[in-house]
Amino acid sequence: MTSAVIIVLREVLEAMLLICMLMASSSAMKLTLRWLVPALVAGLGGALAYAVFLESISMSFEGFGQEIINSSLLVATMLLLAAHNFFVIRYLNSPTSIANDSCLLVFVLVGAAALGITREGSEIYLYAYSYGLVAGDETSVLAGGAIGAGIGLSLGTFIYYGLKTLTPRHCLVLSCGIALIIGAGMTSQAALFLAQADILPATEPLWDSSALLRESSLLGELLQAAIGYEASPTLVQISLHLGAVLLSIAAMVLGYFSLAGNRKTA
Amino acid sequence: MMSSVINRVLALIFLWGVTTVVSAQTPEFIIEIREHLFYPSELKIPAGQKVKLIIYNRDATPEEFESYELNREKVIVGNSQGIVFIGPLKPGEYPFFGEFNPKTAQGKIIVE
Repeated sequence: MTSAVIIVLREVLEAMLLICMLMASSSAMKLTLRWLVPALVAGLGGALAYAVFLESISMSFEGFGQEIINSSLLVATMLLLAAHNFFVIRYLNSPTSIANDSCLLVFVLVGAAALGITREGSEIYLYAYSYGLVAGDETSVLAGGAIGAGIGLSLGTFIYYGLKTLTPRHCLVLSCGIALIIGAGMTSQAALFLAQADILPATEPLWDSSALLRESSLLGELLQAAIGYEASPTLVQISLHLGAVLLSIAAMVLGYFSLAGNRKTA
Repeated sequence: MMSSVINRVLALIFLWGVTTVVSAQTPEFIIEIREHLFYPSELKIPAGQKVKLIIYNRDATPEEFESYELNREKVIVGNSQGIVFIGPLKPGEYPFFGEFNPKTAQGKIIVE
């Protein structure tokens, strides 16, 4: 049962941080949280489809379908998070811009959350289905899974209300920082998948900090989910990580200047 | 002028040929999953070289081959196989495990 707790908690934790940050930032921009409904529907549908078709997905792309799809989902989420930062900075600069932007912004929120749920949910479904239902171990898998999901949801609630205690401005600035860091972490994870499939060149890791902090430790896991902590990264991974950071900063700079012309004429 | 272009093209074709031969020489190793255990549970591979791992899952249940040290994770559906490229790596021990059976499904890659 303890394995079920850990397996489910690991997956839930990653998606929770992303979704709770998006919830906090959207409510700081005075949007309703109704976007959660389509995000959950699309995310759970995506997770189910991914898990059900996993066999054919795995066979596609010469046996590297999983790597291609996972890295595409990760990079797409990073791009949506950069778009989120663009709109947040625009809002901070001129709060009235939200009237024009809300439609696109909701699309970004739904997309980012749904992609996160798809990635993490498919693994939970696969595990619960094959080890709970098929193997006939329902009680311990479902009970363990429920505990894991419960811990994940409580941590998420904690993050959400923690961010909400800040002033809207601080909450938004912090959310942009979190989005930047999560996006960069996802990009470096995507790099790993592409190296695993031999699509990106493989090189020896540049350093190994696992003696200082093991990725498998609790703190290592938390930091991996939060900032994409990697004990032994390769040069390609670090370059893509930095690329994602720069892209997010560029999106924010663009957001800052995108309304400058309007304000002068007004 | 023309001949230098032809020379360059020929050089490129030659290089392409060399890299293709090199990649065809990527050593292959096989790991099997049976009854939620890895066979062999210790696998020796050469250092400083990319290696192709072919993982056969003989169980009906899926398993996720995962390793923090190798930075790899891949779900292998029941009764199927998957390929994972690892390395180049420095000499040492790199543990891996099956995420769905983390207590029993354990093994390590020994790089030397």
